[in-house]
Order: sequence, then C-alpha cells, then structure tokens
Amino acid sequence: MTGPQRATERWGTALENALLVLLLGAMIVLATAQIVLRIGFDRGLIWADELLKILVLWVALVGSVATSRGRRHLRIDLLSHYLPERYARLPVLIVDGFAAIVCGFVAWHSARYVLLTVEFGDTVLVGVPAWLVQGVLPVAFALMAYRFGLYWLKGLLDLFRRGPMGPPP
Amino acid sequence: MILASVLLVLLAVLGAPLFAIIAASAMLGYQQQGIDLMAIAIEILGLAEMPFLSAIPLFTFAGYLLSESGAPQRLVRLTGAVIGWVPGGLALVALAACAFFTAFTGASGITIIALGAILYPALKHDGYPDDFNLGLVTSSGSLGLLFAPSLPLILYGVIAKVPIDDLFRAGILPGLLMLLMLSGWSLWVNRRNRTPAREFSLRQVRVALRESIWELPLPVVVLGGIYSGFFAVSEAAAVTALYVLIVEVAVLRDVKVSELPRIMRESMLLVGAILIILGVSLASTNYMIDAGVPQQLLGLVADLVSSQTSFLLLLLLFLLVLGAILDIFSAIVLVVPLILPIAAQYDVSQIHLGIVFLAAMQLGYLTPPVGLNLFIASYRFDKSILDVCRATFPFLVILLLSVIAITFWPQLSLMLVG
Repeated sequence: MTGPQRATERWGTALENALLVLLLGAMIVLATAQIVLRIGFDRGLIWADELLKILVLWVALVGSVATSRGRRHLRIDLLSHYLPERYARLPVLIVDGFAAIVCGFVAWHSARYVLLTVEFGDTVLVGVPAWLVQGVLPVAFALMAYRFGLYWLKGLLDLFRRGPMGPPP
Repeated sequence: MILASVLLVLLAVLGAPLFAIIAASAMLGYQQQGIDLMAIAIEILGLAEMPFLSAIPLFTFAGYLLSESGAPQRLVRLTGAVIGWVPGGLALVALAACAFFTAFTGASGITIIALGAILYPALKHDGYPDDFNLGLVTSSGSLGLLFAPSLPLILYGVIAKVPIDDLFRAGILPGLLMLLMLSGWSLWVNRRNRTPAREFSLRQVRVALRESIWELPLPVVVLGGIYSGFFAVSEAAAVTALYVLIVEVAVLRDVKVSELPRIMRESMLLVGAILIILGVSLASTNYMIDAGVPQQLLGLVADLVSSQTSFLLLLLLFLLVLGAILDIFSAIVLVVPLILPIAAQYDVSQIHLGIVFLAAMQLGYLTPPVGLNLFIASYRFDKSILDVCRATFPFLVILLLSVIAITFWPQLSLMLVG
C-alpha cells in the first residue's frame, strides 16, 4: 500500500467510527429520553420516533459501508473455508467486480431519486429537507462501489503479477 | 431471465455479498416489468418506516459490550455456584450459561468466543472427554436463540408483523425443551464421571450473587418489562444499552472509555450487514409478491402435500437445507415473506411458524458446509473442521430431535401465548 492510500484508509476508518459512535449514542439518548418522558411526564416528542427511525436507516447504511472494509458482509462462505487462497483468487475477483457494479447501479438510481425529492421539495421531521436524510443512500452505495472497486483492482493487479494460481503473496 | 437467475445463484455460491445478489435480482425484476429502477431507493429507504427496528442495533451493542466485560466470567461463576453441585453439573452449567448469554447477545457466534474460552478448559480440567467438550461448546454457541430478547426473534417479528412479545412467550418452552434434551444427553454421556463440579455452598452462592449484583437486574428489567407490557421491545433495548453502558464502563470499569469506539464499530458491523440485506430484500420481496411468486410456490406445494402435517414435514426439510447454506438473518429476511402466505393456507400460525423457522435454522449453525459455529470453534480451539463436525454430531442429532418435536407439537409454542 502506498502512503496516500494508507492515509485515506486511516481517515476513512476514523470517520466511519466517529459517525457510528455518534449515531448509536444519539439513538441511545433519544430512545431513553422518550421513555423518561413517557413514564415521568406522560408525554413524548412527536418527532422523536421519526428521528429514531432515521437514525436506524443511517446506522444501517454507515454500518454497511464499514462492513465492506475487509469484505465482512454476509455471504455464503464456501470458497474461503475450503479452497486454498491461490485457487480462490479468481472467484474473489469476480464477486468483487460484481458487487462494485451492483453498488454503482444502486448509487446511481438512488441519486436520481434523491434529486427528484429535491425538485419536489419533500420534507421529513419538522420541515427538514428530505434529501438531507435520504442523501446517505447514494453516498453509502457509492462508497461501497468504490471499496469493492478497489478490491477488484487490487485483485486484478495480483492476478497479473502472479497468474491465476501463482503462489500467495 | 432464467439465465440471469442461474448466474446470480452461481455468484452467490462463489461468495458474492448476499445484499448485492438480492439488489441485482430486484433491479433485474424491475427492468423486466418496466418499473423505473429508482424504485429500489424507495424500497431501501423503507428501512426508516419499520417499527421496533431500533431494537436490533441497541441490543447488539449491549451484547457486544457485555461480552467484552467481565460478565461472562461472572455468569459462569454464578451458574456454577447455583447448579454446579449436581453430578455432571459443569456440563449443565455450560449449557445454561450459554443459552442465557446467547439470548442476550444475539446469535452471532459471540458466545463461543466469550464463554467457550472459559468453559472449554474448565470442562477439560474436570475430566470430561475432549470430543464431548468441543461438541458441547460448539453447539451451545447458538443455544438460546429462542429466548428473549434474541435478535432472530425480533427480526422475525418485524418481518412477519407478529407482536414481538408474543414471540418471546412462544420461544420459552421450545427453548427449554432443547436445553433439557441436551442436558439429559450430557448427563447420560458422562454417567461414569458423576463427580459434581463442586459442593453446594450457600456462601459461594452469596459471593457469586454479590459479584453479579449489577448485572442481575438486567434480565429482570428487560424480560419483566417486555412480558408485562411495560416496555415495547425497542424501549427495552434502549434501557438495556444505556444500563450496560453505565454499569460496565462507569460502575464496574470492566471496559475502558477508550475501548468504546472499537466495540461500537464491531457491533455495528453486524447490524449493518443484517440491515442492508433487510433493505434490499424489501425491494426484492415486493417485486416477487407483485410477480405472484408466493402463489406459484403455493401451487407447487399444493401438488405435493395436502395436510398440515405433511406441509410441516416439507417445511422442515426445506429449512434444514436452507440452514445449511444460508445464515439465519438472511434466511429470515429472504424466505419468511414468501412462506408466510403458504403457511397460512395450511393453518400454521405465524407464531408457530416463527419458532419452527428459528429452531430449524439453529441447526444451520452446526451443519456443514457453512455452519458458522463450526468455523468459529475450529478457529478458536485450534481443531480441524472435520474434528469439530464429528464432535458436534451427537449434539446435532439431539437438537434435530428437539426441532422435530417443536415442529409437530404446535401447542408447545402456543401454550404460553395469550
């Protein structure tokens, strides 16, 4: 890995962590505050439930971006358990490329959708523009496309350098 | 279209992320029906419309935090003090502690790492045979997923739109049945090694209780709160997360504040992996329902079976195969929406269906080729997969018998549901 690559890796991970800590922390605080209000004062914040659900959406997407680091998404994990690394190289290359393309498609079409909601002036919560909340969707899938694309590129270089069944690095 | 489906299955077997497979199949379906592909965005954003979903990140975080603290040791010591005096007691201690811990930490293999590491050497020390220990610890890693508040139960409730507290009640007896049958087997195998783990001592119990004083309210508050209807499941999850955070970090100081970001990240990796699959499968499920897939499946099933019993048999066989290739979370999200309408045709209640589904998928943790527990145990205890499979086999058979009983005895699940 080159210097700039390592720097993006470090800063990217730090940013993911900061976001996850923030989102999860907000979720805990908001949810317990709601309970205290309900039990202690017999009332609740009208927007709190909606915000909590939005936080879940964000945690899901940011968490999924973080999961793509190190390829930790749920999958049918046959090859890595039963094939030696060198034989699994080609299949891994194929599925990384596939995942990058699919994520790219989802990012593209959800960006189109979000732009449409900007046009219509959709809002969520109390007058917050919807794109602020929904914008996470294209961004997250674009980041995953980028991540899988990087893995694919790395795999491809490896393949050229060592051949499809050459010795492990 | 058939070619595309075959290609997707092939990619899945090669190890493509399941969410990408599902997203691709949904987009292909849209394409074919002339629906704008933007629709996939609307479906994924539907994650923000689902009730109770916040329970999943909150319980997962609480579980990860617990497993990083001293709670596993304290749980083993407490269980040991309470039931360790029974002959063959340590095996029972292992089963009970694992079941309890799995219920609270979701069924992600964490139990094997957190508790197995304590129990495996302890069992060996007490003279239990190695194969037995390995099998016990491996199969206990997913025991307890029928007990509240386990993640698969919550996920099934969200997807099938069944009251989650009903599911929590329904899981109790089937879960106990599994626990009892495994306990019986353990006692029988070790009938020659009848030395109790320890003498019963009231003082020991008191010490263990005092040591766990901060964690003891947790099951009471969570389970009591949910079963009494005082807390919704998402509220119970929030209380659990905040309570565990305060106790383990501020009161007991088992976990340093500086470790929190790592633990939060680790727990959210699992959550992200589950919820992204849920998001994209909202799209694929809607497409499949529009395309009439459940009706076609029903037609297919109707040709094969006519009675409820034969339907349950077919369902069980299907789930066992499913569990061998797919993890429990993906299986719930993908398959439950499709079999719910079919089960309804055969008068199988949604609650019973849920318990059968999860119980059968629990076996999937232990069956090759992709059983998660097999790999975690093999890695954690440095044994070959084949060794772990062989050691686990008797436990798998016992669990299979219990799953058969759970499937064909609906009353067991439904008795406690009001």
